[in-house]
Amino acid sequence: MPILPTTNSKTSRGGYTPLLVVFLLSCFLLTSTPPVRAQNTENFLVQGKNALSTGDIETAATLLRKVPHPGVHGDDGSFAQSRMLLARMFFSVKDFAQATAVCQEILQFYPDNQEAKNFLTSISRESSPVYIQFFQDTIKFLPALAKGTVMTLFLVLLTIIISPILGLLIALGRIGSFRPVQSLCWFVIWIFRGTPLLLQLFFIYYALPTFGITLQPITAAIMGLSLNYSAYLAEIIRGGIQSIDYGQTEAAKALGMTYAQSMRRIIIPQTYKRLMPPIGNEFIALIKDTALVSTIAMVELMRSADLLFNTYFNITVLILAALIYLAMTSVFTLTFEKIETIVGAYENR
Amino acid sequence: MKTDKTTPLIQLSGITKRFGKLTAVDNVSLDIKRGEKLVIIGPSGSGKSTLLRAINFLEKIDKGEIRFEGTRVGYVIKKGRMTLDKPSRICALRSEIGMVFQHFYLFPHMTVLGNVMEGPLTVQKKAPEEARDIALAMLDKVGIVDKKDVFPATLSGGQKQRVAIARAIAMRPKLMLFDEPTSALDPELVGEVFETIRSLAKEGMTMVVVTHQMGFAREIADRVIFMEQGTFIAQGTPQEFFSKHMNNERIKNFLDKIL
Ligand SMILES: Nc1ncnc2c1ncn2[C@@H]1O[C@H](COP(=O)(O)OP(=O)(O)O)[C@@H](O)[C@H]1O
Ligand SMILES: [Mg+2]
Repeated sequence: MPILPTTNSKTSRGGYTPLLVVFLLSCFLLTSTPPVRAQNTENFLVQGKNALSTGDIETAATLLRKVPHPGVHGDDGSFAQSRMLLARMFFSVKDFAQATAVCQEILQFYPDNQEAKNFLTSISRESSPVYIQFFQDTIKFLPALAKGTVMTLFLVLLTIIISPILGLLIALGRIGSFRPVQSLCWFVIWIFRGTPLLLQLFFIYYALPTFGITLQPITAAIMGLSLNYSAYLAEIIRGGIQSIDYGQTEAAKALGMTYAQSMRRIIIPQTYKRLMPPIGNEFIALIKDTALVSTIAMVELMRSADLLFNTYFNITVLILAALIYLAMTSVFTLTFEKIETIVGAYENR
Repeated sequence: MKTDKTTPLIQLSGITKRFGKLTAVDNVSLDIKRGEKLVIIGPSGSGKSTLLRAINFLEKIDKGEIRFEGTRVGYVIKKGRMTLDKPSRICALRSEIGMVFQHFYLFPHMTVLGNVMEGPLTVQKKAPEEARDIALAMLDKVGIVDKKDVFPATLSGGQKQRVAIARAIAMRPKLMLFDEPTSALDPELVGEVFETIRSLAKEGMTMVVVTHQMGFAREIADRVIFMEQGTFIAQGTPQEFFSKHMNNERIKNFLDKIL
């Protein structure tokens, strides 16, 4: 018989040995249920199952094939049962041609047999090349992942808008000479840089209700991400401002500029180029960190992938999610490199 | 009284500035008349920069008083201590005093024109077109209008300093402070900067110049002051100064060293 290549290693999608074990095990369980009728035809079925449970696949195949077509002995379902068993057996050893043939045999007699039909699609899926499978899976999972991606992008964009502004304010507060504001800004940075983002999200979403503040998951997510990233950006921006030659401030003062004017017109614009690389890094980290909000009931890309994966156990989901994250981080990297050259143009013109 | 032409533009009396234990400017008094050209010379660390910076409140003095056009300015007494006046007043005063630094401090992110427009635009809140006209006129005056659209990074030191001068005079200051304006320049670029300062002097600008270039001091100064260890050791017209004080051992040593 052309079957039984149990050590077949042509395909790269290994791991059907466990499948076979599961299959044999289930056959064993099936045989342990007492036979309803002890007729001849059923004997082939029972014997076939027995042979399977001992691992004697060749014998099992021969026996199961002997279960006759319906009509000879009336329809007791043993035909369909035997052929499905055969189909599964062939399938488990990757003999897709035989498995298909057996399924079609069933459909000849029972054109509406759903089990056989479903199994045929499984076979065609399993027997098609990897890239076609991947393509089919992509079409299947992409819509759900795309929805998650939209949410992830929304969170990222909102944080990218809020955190530089808030970060700048915190940085200016720390640099400024008003003590209470200085202390407050120091405290905010201390808290939000010194604890895990995950903990901050839990706190905002699960602990704040204890103090009478209940937030929507999306509000909590945006708050957590924005505050955390503001704290990081504040320190980066402060470093940027303090790295500008003090002569620039002196020149601005000598012109008669106020503190605010010199910051806005002279100092802060000069930090842009220096700040682009570290801020770009933060935003790339942010894209990945949005995955953490999946823990507070937000369905974004990671959560979508997680849900799909738990339903289908299909690693294509994970590959797709990884590709989407990579695409986002790559676009950001390129964008920031571009912005860096634009805002720093004055240095080499 | 404020607009009396005979009142000195700036009157410093008993100015003292300490950095910790070090007294950088020690009880200095000085009147600067309108249109006067004052040159301060002296060894490094003698307090020349500190004095100049005190005049436009970049340094907060510990003692003394500063009068601008006859009015006491810049400081208020709070709980018996001298504190700087409100920022808005300080800024207003500074906008009337131009300052040129040894290291230019042009704004690197703005074009040459942008640098010169910045004061009129941001500080004096002039309309962009007006600020632009003023800036172009100033750039013309310092002879660098053809570079108006480039960024400072591409300029030579001499060109940078001329732009810095244009930026300062675009504010139409009543007093110009030059702190070693040519010390950071290659020798061959010194001339163009002095030429610019000279033309300003001819227009009647009141100015205080700290420099080590004795030839220039002699040529431009109405009065030369020699400063050492925070005090004025000697002063006089260039003729007086360079003849009479040549007997002074310390000044002679100093001049010998730099000439
Ligand atoms: N910000 C400062 N902190 C401490 N010491 C200073 C500071 N600025 C100047 N000094 C000191 O004050 C003295 C006078 O300095 P400066 O006015 O720059 O001298 P000059 O311009 O004549 O070379 C020097 O001893 C200098 O080290
Ligand atoms: Mg100096």
